[in-house]
Parts: sequence; C-alpha cells; structure tokens
Amino acid sequence: MKRVLAFVVVLACAAPAAAQEEPAFLSIRPFVMGSQQQFAAVETFEAIFGTATQPFWGGGVQVTQEDRFYVELGASKFRKTGERAFRNTGQTFRVGIPLTVTITPFEITGGYRFHLGQRVVPYIGGGPGWYRYKETSNFSTDAENVNVRKTGLVVEGGVEFRLFRWVGAAADVHFAHIPGILGEGGISKDAGEKDLGGVAARVKVIVGR
Amino acid sequence: MGRSRALLSVAALIAAAVTLGVRAQTPDPNRYIVLEGVGLSAVNEGPITDESHTPRAPEAARRAALRAAIRTQRITSSGARYTPGRLIVKFRESATDAARLAAVASASRTARIGARPSYANFDVVLIDPADDGEDAAKRLATSPDVEYAQPPYRMHTMFVPNDPLYKPSVTFSPGQWNLPVIGLESAWDIQPQAGSTITVAVLDTGVAYQNATITATVPAFRDERGVLYPALGRITVPYSAAPQLVGAGNAGRIVAPYDFIWDRTTPLDFDGHGTHVSGTIGQLTNDNIDTAGVAFNVKLMPVKVIDSVWDDLFGAPNFGDDETVARGIRYAADNGAKIINMSIGRTGPPDTAPAVEDAIRYAVGKGVFISISAGNDFEDGNPKEVVAEIASRVQGAVSVAAVDRNVTAGDHKCAGTPTSPTCHAYYSSSGSWVELAAPGGSERGFGNDGFIWQQTFDFRLTDTFLFPPSQYRAPRFDVMAVIGYIGTSMAAPHVSGVAAMVMQQGITSPAAIEAALERFALDLGSAGRDDQYGFGLIDARNSLRALGVAR
Repeated sequence: MKRVLAFVVVLACAAPAAAQEEPAFLSIRPFVMGSQQQFAAVETFEAIFGTATQPFWGGGVQVTQEDRFYVELGASKFRKTGERAFRNTGQTFRVGIPLTVTITPFEITGGYRFHLGQRVVPYIGGGPGWYRYKETSNFSTDAENVNVRKTGLVVEGGVEFRLFRWVGAAADVHFAHIPGILGEGGISKDAGEKDLGGVAARVKVIVGR
Repeated sequence: MGRSRALLSVAALIAAAVTLGVRAQTPDPNRYIVLEGVGLSAVNEGPITDESHTPRAPEAARRAALRAAIRTQRITSSGARYTPGRLIVKFRESATDAARLAAVASASRTARIGARPSYANFDVVLIDPADDGEDAAKRLATSPDVEYAQPPYRMHTMFVPNDPLYKPSVTFSPGQWNLPVIGLESAWDIQPQAGSTITVAVLDTGVAYQNATITATVPAFRDERGVLYPALGRITVPYSAAPQLVGAGNAGRIVAPYDFIWDRTTPLDFDGHGTHVSGTIGQLTNDNIDTAGVAFNVKLMPVKVIDSVWDDLFGAPNFGDDETVARGIRYAADNGAKIINMSIGRTGPPDTAPAVEDAIRYAVGKGVFISISAGNDFEDGNPKEVVAEIASRVQGAVSVAAVDRNVTAGDHKCAGTPTSPTCHAYYSSSGSWVELAAPGGSERGFGNDGFIWQQTFDFRLTDTFLFPPSQYRAPRFDVMAVIGYIGTSMAAPHVSGVAAMVMQQGITSPAAIEAALERFALDLGSAGRDDQYGFGLIDARNSLRALGVAR
C-alpha cells in the first residue's frame, strides 16, 4: 500500500518532458467509462432489483480548451431485469414476473480543470442531461410499458490522472437529478420517490492529451 | 273386532310416529349410513334458469324455517339462536382442575366438563338442555379461571342461492359475467397453473365430491306452520360427485375431507351451497363443459360445518354453530389448507365469537389466508356481522361484500341503472368490517342475467320438503345442473380463488395476500376505503402483476 502511495506521489510530482509542452488550444479526447450509481429511489430499486446500486456503461468525447475548460458529451446505459413486486409494511414481495428497465442518459457537461500538478487534474462541472427510460414486463400491454424521455441536471467533480502520454484515467463523483419519470405510478409512487437520478462513482479511461 | 283392529292400528301408528319422530342429538349409528364410492356418476342437466335462489326467495326462508322447526335450538330474547345443552368454555392456562370444576359447578348444578372435542382450544361444558345457556355462560364468565364462555351460536350460509357457460349466448344469456369483471382472463395468462399447489378449504354445507349410496331413516316432522310431513321411513338416496368439481382427470383433487356435523370423514353436501361455492373457487375449466372457476386447478378440502335440512332429517348429531365452525377452521389449518373460504356467518347479539376468533387467529398464524362473506343483511337492519367483523381485525383474513352486474368488464366502472344505481348488491351488508368487494350478483334489474352460475344439485330433486306433503318424497343427489345463486357467499369464493393464484405466485404470507388484494382493488364508491365496497372490487390481474418501477 505504501509503495502504491509513493508511486502515485512520484507520478504526480514528476514533470516529464511531455508535460512541459504547451497545451493545445483545443484537444478532443474520447473516453469510455463505467459507473456504479446509488439511485435516489432506494426503496423502488431495492424492491425490483434487490439493491439500489447499479452499474452504467458508456463513453463519450471531451473537448478541452487549453486544458482548462472542458465540454463533455457522454452517453451511457443501464439495463437490468428484476421482478415486479409490491411493498407492505416495509417488506417487499416479488411476484416472479420479469421486468426490464433500460436507462439511457445523454449528458452534456462543461466545467473547469485545475492544474495542481502535471499529472493530477481535478475538475468540476455540470450541465443538462437527456434521459430515456424504458420499462417493459411480461403480461403488460404497450400502454402499460413505459418509454419516456425527460431532462435532468448533472453536477460532477473528480480527478484526472495522466497515466501515459496519450492515456489518462479519471475518477469522479456524478450527481444527477431526473424528475418526471418516477413517482407517477408503480412502486416509486407508493414509496414517494420521484427522482430517477442518484449519485454515481465513475471511472473513465481517456485517450488524448 | 273391527273396532279393536282400528284401535290397534292407531296405536301402531302413534308408536311408529314416536319411534320415527325427529329426536335430536342422540344419533342412532344405523340411522344414517354412507356407502362411499357406491353410486353412479351424476346426470348433468346443464343450466336451469327457472330455479330461484336469492337472498329473499321464499325457498331460502323456508329452508331456514324448516331447519328451525326440525332441530332443537334456543332463541334468546334478542333473537340469537344457539345450540342447547352445551357451552363453549375456554379456561385460563393457570386454572387448576379443581378450579375448573368449581367454576363449572357455579354455572349450573347439572353442568359438567365434556371430553374436549377435536380441533378445539376450548372445552365443551355440557348442561341440561332445558337450562338457559346464555345465563349459564354469563355465570361461568365471571370466574377468574375462565377466559370466555358462550353458548354455541348458530351459523348459517351467506348465500343466497338461483340458478353455462362462460360467455353469454343465445341459449344462456347470463354468461359468467362475474369472472371477466375481476380481470380473470388476463390473470389466467399470468398464472395458468391457477393454484395447482394450493389447497383451499371450503367451510360450508359440504361438497358433492364423491359418489355414494346413503341409507337413512327419515321420520315425520312438522314444518314451521305445523303442517305434518309423513315419515319416509328407511330410504336409499343416490349421491353423485359434481363432475365439474371432481372429474376423471383430476384424481387427488379432494384433500382431507371432514364433516363436523356428523363427526365423520364424508362431508357430503345435502344443500348445494357448498358445492356451488366450491365451483366458483375451482370449477374445472377449459374443458368445454358448463362453467369456469376462478382458480380451477386448486385442491379442495371440503369441511362441513353447516347443517342442511336433510342433515337434520337424517338425524345429524351436531349443528352448524360457533363450535363446529371454530373446530373446522382449526382442522383446515392443521391439515394443510392454505386458504379457507367461509361463505358463512351470523349476526349478533352476541357481537362476539371468541372461539371463532381464536380459531381464525390460529389459522392465520399458521399461514392460512381466510376469505369470509360480509353478510346479506343490508335490507334487514344491516346488523353487525360477527364473523366478518373478526376478519377486519385480523391481517390475513378479509371480509367480502358483494357487487352486482353494474360492474362492467374492462373499465371496471359502475354502469348504474335506474333500478340499481350503484354496484352495491342490494343485500350486501355494509359496515366498518367490509374490506373487499367481489361479484355476488343480484336479480334486481338483471333477472337471471344477474346471478352467479355454477354446477350444483337440481333442487327440484333434492329440496322435496319445499313441496306440499303429498308430493314430499325421498331426495336424490345424483342430478346436477348449473344453477344461479346470489349472495356474499358467492363473493367470498372469488377472493379465495384469486388469493390461491396470488399464493401460487409466491406470496405466501396471509397478511401480504390481503395487502395485495386491497392495494390492487379497484376503488368503488367513495374515494378510499368505504363501508359498502371496502377497498374496492378485487382485481385478479393487477394483484398477480403487482407493480413495476414507474407503472
């Protein structure tokens, strides 16, 4: 553990020849990401899937200006099959009917990158998101399935590490607020939960300088 | 000589009348014999639409009056009926034998503790049948060693019988309107097993579940108007299983049958009510014959706890009362039933039935869901329904009111008519105890189209005591027909059937089943729970589907 810590410190403090180059005015950097999201609708997701922490996978592209400002376009997807259920006095009863939820976020965020060292770049940002939510289950009519798009807001903050000259990694915390999908019916209505968003821990692998 | 012969004949007739006269409670083992499995299959006549079985039908009143006339029972000043000669008594655990004997002695000089009956957590104290049971019970209840004491108050079925036929057709206009209106067609898609692993106990007048030949001695009797009906003497009665309940292809459907009226294992239905109720729960379905049932694959446990006129005439030793019902509930719970249907009940006073309540709580505690009819007394002063009221205080037992045909399929709305402006069936008792509603039917404004139809006996061949004495004859219970009934007795089995399907879906807790049925009921009447419909009309499809994330 100490060795790992020392390695990170050396990486952070080192000023390799590449880092001393002037940053490009615009840099276009594609990335892939995976995240683990704690949904705000805890009761709802626990009832259907057994846990409110679920993975998203996706990617996007980030454009930086002089390595200070950035705009990021990201798309990701969550898809999982649980069971329809109901709750009674705090207990969940699943009825064995498969239910599949697909959430496809498309987010545009912008923010600022702080240069504390050549290899470690904290950043914060935010922006709007567009979210497509699909819910289908067996024995449901088209009218009973859900397929909607709503907008939400995103705030994010994290740290980017430069691993190699053309490859970086970022870890951030991503908060999304997505009203208008939950709370109108289903378990989310019973639970009084109206936000499809939540807090996610994300890891990105970024290609580019 | 001729005069002597005449006198001798008169004496012989008097002796025969005395010998054959109805005497209660001392059963002659040879008076009623059932040869199980000996008999032919039933004749099935199909639908009969000219037999009236409604809550207020003269025939229904006549059956009740005849039972009262034939059997000994006591009526209190408040009108409550109870079985004489015995008290239901629950002693406290801490009470010593001496204390129990002292308490009993204080109640009546003739009182003694009888052998504890099977499936009872209470004792039976035998008293002189001439003693006032209520007074004796009150004296016993004052003892600190007694938890409760009561006479066994009489119970009765909650139906209200009439008389294939799932879809309406030219030859049979009613159809089974009562099944699609609770979302059953799509529920069967979700749960095609329709309760195959679930045993539903039917606590009722028995069930026509096997072929048999019955030999019985039927004495003369006077009806409620004093009209003498002649003794039939020794008669042989053919009895057949209802082919739409017990078909050739579903051997093993009947589980642990028991008869608490006769204290034996052959709970044969001599009334038709229990067979009709069982049909609504689990009539064989999708076999191109007659009608459909709700959970058509369930196993059925016939538990006879209500006596009928023929039971009384055959000399049954027990009545349908708090004692038999409480024992029947415990029997069902101890013998594998997962759901109990009780299309039976009584009104007060007294407004309590502690033995029955104990039994209901015991059964629910063992994981049994109970559906109880809410009562048919709305137009008779709408008194409190004692057994149904217990259900409202026990999570896992529900009381079920009746709706009429104004409930429409698809949108589940009440399409009122001038003669019947709401969905509330005119007879269905209302009160704080009503938790759910289901189709019970009504003839008002609908005629035959408003009944709940299932297979049971052709009453023209069974209820011969409704005819004048000259036409009175031995009954035969081997001719079946599809008959329409009306009542909350018909509503409760809809709930039992849907509960069986929910249970097969994996929801085994009685409280959770109740919660599901109430949560997904279609709200009728005032918003939220109300006294006429409870939480509303049961919705089988939505109860089985439960909820998604957002819808």
